[in-house]
Amino acid sequence: MPKSYQENELSSIIRIDESKCKGCDTCKSFCPADAIDGPYGANHRINSERCLQCGQCLVNCPFGAIEDTTDVVDQVIEKLQDGRTTVVATVAPAVRVALGEEFGMEPGKLITGQMYGALKQAGFKIMDVNFAADNTILEEGTELIHKIQKYVLQKPVAEELGPLPQFTSCCPAWVRYMELYHPDLRQHLSSAKSPQGMAGPVAKIYGAKEIWKVEPEQIFCVGVYPCTAKKLEASRPEFTAAADYWKKQGHTATYQDTDVVLTTRDLARLLKKLDIDIRNVQPAEEKDNPLAEYTGAGTIFGATGGVMEAALRTAYYVLTGQEMDDLSYKPVRGLDEVKSASIPLKLKDGGQEITLKIAVVHGTKNVEPLLKEIKAGSSPYHFIEVMNCPGGCVNGGGQPINPMGTSWTGKFKAILPWL
Amino acid sequence: MKRYSYEEKGVKISRREFLGFVGVVSAFLWTGAYTMTDLIVDRTKYIKMRTAGLYQDDEKQAKRQSHNNQSLLNMYKSLNFHPMSPLAEELFHTHYVDRSIL
Repeated sequence: MPKSYQENELSSIIRIDESKCKGCDTCKSFCPADAIDGPYGANHRINSERCLQCGQCLVNCPFGAIEDTTDVVDQVIEKLQDGRTTVVATVAPAVRVALGEEFGMEPGKLITGQMYGALKQAGFKIMDVNFAADNTILEEGTELIHKIQKYVLQKPVAEELGPLPQFTSCCPAWVRYMELYHPDLRQHLSSAKSPQGMAGPVAKIYGAKEIWKVEPEQIFCVGVYPCTAKKLEASRPEFTAAADYWKKQGHTATYQDTDVVLTTRDLARLLKKLDIDIRNVQPAEEKDNPLAEYTGAGTIFGATGGVMEAALRTAYYVLTGQEMDDLSYKPVRGLDEVKSASIPLKLKDGGQEITLKIAVVHGTKNVEPLLKEIKAGSSPYHFIEVMNCPGGCVNGGGQPINPMGTSWTGKFKAILPWL
Repeated sequence: MKRYSYEEKGVKISRREFLGFVGVVSAFLWTGAYTMTDLIVDRTKYIKMRTAGLYQDDEKQAKRQSHNNQSLLNMYKSLNFHPMSPLAEELFHTHYVDRSIL
């Protein structure tokens, strides 16, 4: 086990195939953690101790020389076909706008219905991670509101709280960056788990009891994410909340909250293996499935600024007692590396006015100046969103490799698809 | 009547210069210096297209704020807890480790 990993964590998800590597250094320019060794012109290697497992090098390699070594497609198919297991697919927001690319559709094509339909045809039960994203907002947003009450309004608060500014904790690569390179600041991370961290317990506790009415041990929870770092996150030893919950009720089994993770690319491969073509499946609505209900706030989690925007919609409502007039909050949208904004709030009890200061960062390296400010005690912010991948999860390391990017092999494939 | 006339091109390039020129161009391509093509190609276009897909999904939803997700509120009610309560801490909150000493 390499250093910087806990026991049983996946530690070498990303690998460079030395026979294909040309030593062009493109991966190094995308790596947020300087985790790629090897001089220009020579074979490169990934240093797992430093690596965040984010997969940015993989999706941007011009030669397709970098691969994801964690392949659970056959294991999932086996579970789908064994007849005893309730296989639940928890699907992240950014998957629905990119999965189509693997079947020849254009990027950004929203195919929620077809995706549900294909998953059902494959035999999955569905839980939308957008539901868990809404769940994250309730927990993380409430945490932020309590911190504002404690530190800004000087009101007594019952529970223990970390300091301000609060960082989002949805992105596993960013969380690992913080834990590895700035461990002394990790109390600034929201204690709320990521949507994946919440989806597992919801599926195996509420889902088992109320929705699918099966024993929790029968549930095999498959996360579908645009992300390779989610594979690492799912293997964190402390992510066994469902098993711990059921142990108090007389159960004995131990299992992870999310058993395995498929990337968007993996899911496309799985569907193709089962001869399911997303272009001609029967779309499904899942209207009567409570775990597939989600709001607009949940779905924008997949883009940079989205978690912030979703949190603002709820924090604004809770603090002022009114819904925001215009729900589309433009200052946090777009591809600027660091976006910041001040939101004046008139509190509902007493009418006191405060200004909420926020920042949104994508591309983990860009967070360094903000961390320096915190260390110096001069950070003006209350809440900071960080997503590791440029653009957010839509451009995650588990997404289809798009020929519009820096991939040359992808371009050749786009021009000469039969090769 | 036009008469055929042939004139050498004004610009002459020797074999050696030609090889040098090709060498420089291929060095540019080989080093992955995208500066030349970056002027005409937007390499973030697919990111913007995917993002637009998500914002489209947001605007399509009848409810656009997390606290209005009725099924989510029902879950809290059914398990009889609320955000940041002890059970929520147990299921939905975590701690972080110092990986620099692992």
